[in-house]
Amino acid sequence: MGGMALQLAVSLAGIALMVGLCRLLFGAGETTLSAGSLTARLARDVPGFRAGRIAIGRDARAALVENASDGAVWLALARGDGMVTRKLARATNVVRDGERLALLLNEFTLKRAELDLADAADWEARLRA
Amino acid sequence: MKPFDPVALAIPAFILLVVAEMVFARMTGRARFEVRDTAASLTMGLGSTVLGAVFAFVFVDFALLIQPYALTRIGWSWGAIAACFVADDLKYYWWHRASHRVRWLWCDHVNHHSSQHYNLSTALRQPWFGVLVLPGLLFNVPLILIGFPLTMIAFVHGLNLVYQFWIHTEAIDRFPRWFEAVMNTPSHHRVHHATNARYLDANYAGVFIVWDRLFGSFVEERKDDAPRYGIVGNIASYNPLRIALHGWVSLAHDLGSAHGPREFLAYLFAPPGWSPDGSRDTSETIKARWAAQQSPAE
Repeated sequence: MGGMALQLAVSLAGIALMVGLCRLLFGAGETTLSAGSLTARLARDVPGFRAGRIAIGRDARAALVENASDGAVWLALARGDGMVTRKLARATNVVRDGERLALLLNEFTLKRAELDLADAADWEARLRA
Repeated sequence: MKPFDPVALAIPAFILLVVAEMVFARMTGRARFEVRDTAASLTMGLGSTVLGAVFAFVFVDFALLIQPYALTRIGWSWGAIAACFVADDLKYYWWHRASHRVRWLWCDHVNHHSSQHYNLSTALRQPWFGVLVLPGLLFNVPLILIGFPLTMIAFVHGLNLVYQFWIHTEAIDRFPRWFEAVMNTPSHHRVHHATNARYLDANYAGVFIVWDRLFGSFVEERKDDAPRYGIVGNIASYNPLRIALHGWVSLAHDLGSAHGPREFLAYLFAPPGWSPDGSRDTSETIKARWAAQQSPAE
């Protein structure tokens, strides 16, 4: 039992060292979203995608993108050095507080997304439709 | 007898090679690392090892249950080891193919594909709850019934997994044609981890890519369509526990909402993305949409 605990401790220390080295070599890797990166990513991932309206949150960490081909709205979130995207269902559960928009997605790895947008009211109406 | 475990012996080499790839990536830009992604992958690897040891008795007990019905008793010899290695690799191919085509199995295997990066640390991003994939046990039955010793099966499977470690890299482009024709390589396995429509559900091989060529699932990597890694609905978490559980939670949610036994069974055994109203995407619907968008010249 003591041997197993030692093995586990050594493994955890090894992981910590490797993660430290990764941080040293590559930095924190936090990216921000831009219209170019959003449309490029969705054009690659979604067959037939044509960019429509794009709204990027003030911190450039979250964005809403309309697919002009079918009218669907996509959510994009900056994660590490990349992004995670989701096609939003019609009548998405949205809560607005001034210019702050919260999308309640209820996914196990993505319960909620928040955006600070100048035209939050427009997007709220669009997402509730 | 406690079987000799090649994976345990290879762990120091795995660590050195991940470090070497990080340095290589920093110097050349020919591989990508992201600190939280790497931390998640390495922690998943450790968790998989620990939970694998805890639940090993399930696999051992099942094998011991089948063993008395073996048709022959094959002894240890170089020829038997070689035959067992090839047979295990064929088994791996079908297990792996099923793991992408059957939701129950995918719930576990999805963890290995959940990184949007492709480097040696991704190889260590392994599932935690393999014990819940009961149909997966059945894939071992033929090898046991043929009469290979259980320790030999465990040994060659360990060798198979060690081989698969080094192919998780962007640092190596391609090998000579003869090698690419027979063996699974970084190029072939990049295709397997890609979410590009043309690459979905391809290259399931463990060691020998000939199985994909033989059973019609081989796709060549193309320079004009660089692989993009991850899963169709990429996860938004670096928390290893959330990564390990997300497929299972999603399945449990769907099973709970099933209307009747037919839907219940379809959620378990149909391909990932299946839904009663067809509102979700399967790899077939994605590939069909993509094919419709291609110009006739493609």
